[in-house]
Amino acid sequence: MLLQLNNIFKWVQQGGQRIFLLKDINLEVEEGEFISIMGPSGSGKSTLLNVIGMLDTFDEGEYDFLSESVHTLKEKYRTNLYKEYIGFVFQSYHLLDDLTVEENLEMPLLYKKVKGSERKALVADMLDRFNFVGKKDLFPSQLSGGQQQLVGVARALIGKPKLILADEPTGNLNSQQSEEIMELFKRLNKEEGVTIIQVTHSEKNAAYGSRIINLLDGRQIGL
Amino acid sequence: MLHNYIKIAFRNVWKNKVFSLINILGLSIGLSAAFVIGAMVFYDLSFDKFHPDGDRIYRVTTAFKSPDGDFYNAGVTVPLAQALVDLKMEELETVAPFFTTYPLHVQNQETGDRFKNPEFVIYTDASYFKTFEYNWLVGNKESALEEPNRVVLSEERARKYFPNKELDDILGKSVMYNDTIPATVSGIVANFNKRTDIVFEEFISLKTAATQDMTNAVNEANWNNTNSASQLFIKLSKRADPIEVQETLTQIAKEHDEPEMVAIGRSNTYAIQPLADIHLNPDYGTFDFDDSRTTMAALKSLLLLAAILVLLGCINFINLNTAQAIQRAKEIGVRKTLGSSRKQLIFQFLGETFILTLAAAALSFFLSKWLLTLFSDFIPVGLTFELFWNHWIVLGIVLLLLLVTVLSGFYPALVMSKYEPVSVLKQQILPNSDKGSLRKYLTVFQFVIAQVFIIATLMVGKQLNYIMKKDMGFKTEAIAYLRTPWRDTSAIKRARFVRQMEELSGINQVVLSGNPPASFSTMSMGALFVDEEKEVNSDLQLMYGNANYFDLYNLKLVAGRMPLNDSIREYVVNRSYLKVIGIENPEDVVGKNLKADNEMLPIVGVMEDFNQHSLKYGVAPMAFTGGSYSGKWTQFRTIHFKLNSLDTSDWPTTISRVETIWKDMYPESDFEYSFMDDTVKKFYESEQKTSILLQWATGLAILISCLGLFGLVIHTTERRTKEIGVRKILGASLFQLNFLLSKEFLKLVLIAFLIATPIAWYGLNYWLEGFANKTTLSWWIFTLSGLAMILIALLIMSVKTIASANTNPVKSLRTE
Repeated sequence: MLLQLNNIFKWVQQGGQRIFLLKDINLEVEEGEFISIMGPSGSGKSTLLNVIGMLDTFDEGEYDFLSESVHTLKEKYRTNLYKEYIGFVFQSYHLLDDLTVEENLEMPLLYKKVKGSERKALVADMLDRFNFVGKKDLFPSQLSGGQQQLVGVARALIGKPKLILADEPTGNLNSQQSEEIMELFKRLNKEEGVTIIQVTHSEKNAAYGSRIINLLDGRQIGL
Repeated sequence: MLHNYIKIAFRNVWKNKVFSLINILGLSIGLSAAFVIGAMVFYDLSFDKFHPDGDRIYRVTTAFKSPDGDFYNAGVTVPLAQALVDLKMEELETVAPFFTTYPLHVQNQETGDRFKNPEFVIYTDASYFKTFEYNWLVGNKESALEEPNRVVLSEERARKYFPNKELDDILGKSVMYNDTIPATVSGIVANFNKRTDIVFEEFISLKTAATQDMTNAVNEANWNNTNSASQLFIKLSKRADPIEVQETLTQIAKEHDEPEMVAIGRSNTYAIQPLADIHLNPDYGTFDFDDSRTTMAALKSLLLLAAILVLLGCINFINLNTAQAIQRAKEIGVRKTLGSSRKQLIFQFLGETFILTLAAAALSFFLSKWLLTLFSDFIPVGLTFELFWNHWIVLGIVLLLLLVTVLSGFYPALVMSKYEPVSVLKQQILPNSDKGSLRKYLTVFQFVIAQVFIIATLMVGKQLNYIMKKDMGFKTEAIAYLRTPWRDTSAIKRARFVRQMEELSGINQVVLSGNPPASFSTMSMGALFVDEEKEVNSDLQLMYGNANYFDLYNLKLVAGRMPLNDSIREYVVNRSYLKVIGIENPEDVVGKNLKADNEMLPIVGVMEDFNQHSLKYGVAPMAFTGGSYSGKWTQFRTIHFKLNSLDTSDWPTTISRVETIWKDMYPESDFEYSFMDDTVKKFYESEQKTSILLQWATGLAILISCLGLFGLVIHTTERRTKEIGVRKILGASLFQLNFLLSKEFLKLVLIAFLIATPIAWYGLNYWLEGFANKTTLSWWIFTLSGLAMILIALLIMSVKTIASANTNPVKSLRTE
């Protein structure tokens, strides 16, 4: 098992009242799954994704990632954990504008303290695989949205993560670009066994996955 | 990793060109001030650090305590040296007395070449060379000064007096001082090649002084006479306790105090002054009179100034970087999700700061070079740009840069690295959520400093203007004076000089008298005023002159009469003296007597007060009298003359005619004259220096602060572009928009003014306390400087605000 969420609660205090962002979430994810999280705006999809990605905390419950109990870990170890095993893909790509394609790809490796020669090889591989060799010296602003998201995916993949978390990865893309990204995810999932959890609004995108989790007001529904 | 950081840092610096430039400029101003001031401090603190036993060498000095205050003399009574030798204290390794002397000229006996006014000549013996380790090129340190009429020269002097000769050949050659004192060269020592105040170049054997030159000083010396020419250095033995030596000296001083002096509160004491203290202690001075010395206090204020300027630069840095933090939030968030730790981010930002600091340092390196020439009046002659290659200075600069980096970079780094990735990526941190209260405090701090400087500059300028314009109490216009050579005692020559000058058409009046009414040299005596029942002891300054002198300087007699003639010992005292002896009516003092050296001296008149020195000081009690002594020791050595004030264009011709007479009369000496006005101006040199320095400090403080302000204004107006657009569409006028944008900052400037006013008032009040004559701390000084600051701030802000208020709102709204 890759990760397991047990009775996760997350809330904020507003005007003396508790407003639940996540309410009693239970989830088990096996390696190799491709899960889509769906639900209307404000239902807690992104929050759940961030909790899984350890970027956000929760107030109650247990979270085990690769048999490590995340809720008891110190921040430093949490950072190491997600640095090692998780790659993120964002709706608005979040590439660093000041870095070239190549440098953007290289950055996660720098934080993982990968050696220079190995880093070069990995980046070259990735550029090759995504057909970016000719564009490696361009800055993100010089690329189309679809291309930027491809760089985003490549950046998420370069650290060889077990899990990719994608928060509406196609939200800013047109249908053709969306399809391209989703096909890529599917291939990664099938051929390389990368576990993927994505948040999406679109039924069509959700259909690429093996399982759908529906959220409403922070609760899982339709179990 | 590092490579990546540096790359990012450079791109960031480049992307924000304006802000980077502001940061670099602000920092480099502070840094160059710090570099130059630091170099000065290093220079002045690195004197005499090279002597092998330097920490054991002390100079013995004298401090006089009297009811009128403490006085200091770098010399000691002559018998002290022998007394110390006789004590055979085991604490003392050497006792090295010497006498400084100022020969008129020295002649190479072989060639007949004459060298005028050799400087740094002393009479001493082997003990001096046991105290100070010299490198002997020729000769022997034990025996070189054993015999009378022997001289040891420094290498430089030897080469000067005996050019083109091997050092070995110079040994045994002789020179003649003042045509009367022959001396055979018995040794040559290398000059000290490091910074030193032990500047002596010619060492004549002490026995020569006793027999041929300073016979009075050396032989008839007693315990009551202290002459600064009589110097004494000691070297303590290795385990000696300086405190014990000091106690012994205090004891000796006590034994030789005269009881009648102690009774009226006068005593003297000896103090040991560490070698390292000589350079910066203004009480005792150094041996090189041409070199204007700074003091520890002055160095400290300069250091404070440097620290303030650097701090102002750092504040700009903090302000601009925290203001921009929002723009980098995304980068921080992304980096964190990719696995960056907070520590790594902090180091990344500190690295960026360091690059900017380095750029600023490179710029200030060139600025420092320029500053060194610009401020050459303030900087010791020996301090050149080469000093910056000294490894201690380099180390100091590196440390300073690191300090500046941490100071200016750490807080922004802390703020920026704190952003949580989730909130950044969800765009929960909105540009307007940044309240920036720390920025406000820091900006207020900057403006408080700028404001204090402005007020101080205006006030110091006002005070300086006041004391320089104020009537000294005597006439100074068109009056000049020259001192006849003091070695030439011929009264006939002086009389002839005066007669010849009187014949010159450009000169109205010529008087041979003592020192001018105000000058740097003063004579004084301890005088006892005796009336029937009361006696008042005090110091009394003396002025020597005659009726013509009185007339020339337009001095005013208020009671009694002038002395009958030049040589009679009759005194005219000033009003200030009346205050000292407690007599109100000037008529009452006429006919009373002063007692000095058991002689009764009649007071025949009272004159109006005038200032004998800078108006910083009050009027000292003074007495006017004739030359007192005739013959060799007369005080009438200065020739005062009044130029025809109608045609100033003729003055140079007249002066050159006087010079011709001088050349004829005193071919040996250089012609020097001073205008009374210039002499008075010289009294205020240190105040004028303070004023100039303050003006610079003010300018720089304003510049740095305004740079920062400019940056913040750019930042806020850019943030409010949309708001400006909306307001404009709703009908706001240009003025209203400008006011809206400037309001926040003007508030800060006003707060700064409120804080600065009491600080400046307190500081200036304290400074003014030091002046006997002072202007008032007028309210308009404060108002004016406040207004000036606001005006400057408005000007700076409007550069940006007018431009943004003028932007077409359609444009700014469409981009949103």
